[in-house]
Amino acid sequence: MRHNFLILLLALLAAGCTPQKFIVPTPLAHPATLFPADAFITQRGVLTVRGRQFTLNGYVAKSKTRGLRLIMTENFGGVLADVLVKPDGNVFVLKAAPPFRPAWVKKYIAADLQCVFVDRAGTNCPLQMLSQTHFVIERRGYKLDLRTVEVKPGVQPAEMFDEKSGGKP
Amino acid sequence: MKIIFTIAAVMLAFAMFAADDGALQPVADPQPILQDLQRKMSSLGSVYFELTQERHLKLFTDPLMSEGVMLIARPDQIRWETTAPFQSILLGDKKSVAQFECTDGKWEKLKLGFPQMLQRVMGQMSLMNQGKLDALTDDYTISVATNSSVAVVTLVPKDQNVRGMLSSLEVKLRPDFSATREVVMNEPNGDFTRIIFHNEKRGVKFPPGTFDQTKPVEISVVRASVSHAP
Repeated sequence: MRHNFLILLLALLAAGCTPQKFIVPTPLAHPATLFPADAFITQRGVLTVRGRQFTLNGYVAKSKTRGLRLIMTENFGGVLADVLVKPDGNVFVLKAAPPFRPAWVKKYIAADLQCVFVDRAGTNCPLQMLSQTHFVIERRGYKLDLRTVEVKPGVQPAEMFDEKSGGKP
Repeated sequence: MKIIFTIAAVMLAFAMFAADDGALQPVADPQPILQDLQRKMSSLGSVYFELTQERHLKLFTDPLMSEGVMLIARPDQIRWETTAPFQSILLGDKKSVAQFECTDGKWEKLKLGFPQMLQRVMGQMSLMNQGKLDALTDDYTISVATNSSVAVVTLVPKDQNVRGMLSSLEVKLRPDFSATREVVMNEPNGDFTRIIFHNEKRGVKFPPGTFDQTKPVEISVVRASVSHAP
């Protein structure tokens, strides 16, 4: 009886999932200013294409001087895309796995990456900032709902920003 | 995805085996072990695992970490829930699958892409959970190795295309199959994923709504319900 009551109590108390920490929005010129110059950022995304939704994980290494490196995975860790954006804007698609094609990764994923993390991404950035951890990018054909779940400040290894390097030495 | 549900089936199978310390002996031919598993799997109705997933990519010095739970109930129900660093629930049975994401403190049911693919996976898992391990041996070459501290069951995909993504799947158990276990999925390029299972509860009675694909009960409720199980 006591056990059942405990379960009922928990059910009433836990009527929803844990909300992310709410941060009062402040006027910001661009979401890029939210992130440290050098950091490792984890994001969770929901990609909506033709009414169908796919969940994605994004792991972004950010360097003030070397650029951005994104590893995008599906639910269970399979790498779907690996893209490097140099500070000069050059894009290197290091991996693209189905359903993503290399050209699609270069044209859209790299653009979205810059949209969030590069202050001077230009006009090709249809981004809405719903909070300091919640962004929506909506382009013709898809909508990407992004949430920042973890930010680890710190300089990232140089190898991560070398298109010729396969990874850690 | 298919790999995850294979793991789920294997974990349930070995949970069964762990229930009988005397049943497993190191053997060169794993077939008797599989036959024993097949025979015994009919008696365990459910299992609860908490898990830590480490995704090791050559690119990163540190593994990408996540936490979660996996629940399995006969004949074909599974719940895979990520609890950190984000919250997501994947539910499935032989007929359908559903996914929920935590959005601003509320669960949102997704309109899944490619649900038919997930349904096929669930169907296969259902067969395996019913003890029809032929599905497993059809897809994998299975070997068993043991030493004084660990027993390792290795599954190598027979399909060359699958081996292009997964070179092997290792299930690591204590020789007596008593507690800490893990699954390692090795990829051809050296990347791997390690899933460490802990706080396992067998033969638990899950509360109503645990596998509900419309409004699944919160995992805190499930945890409270199974906390008294051995």
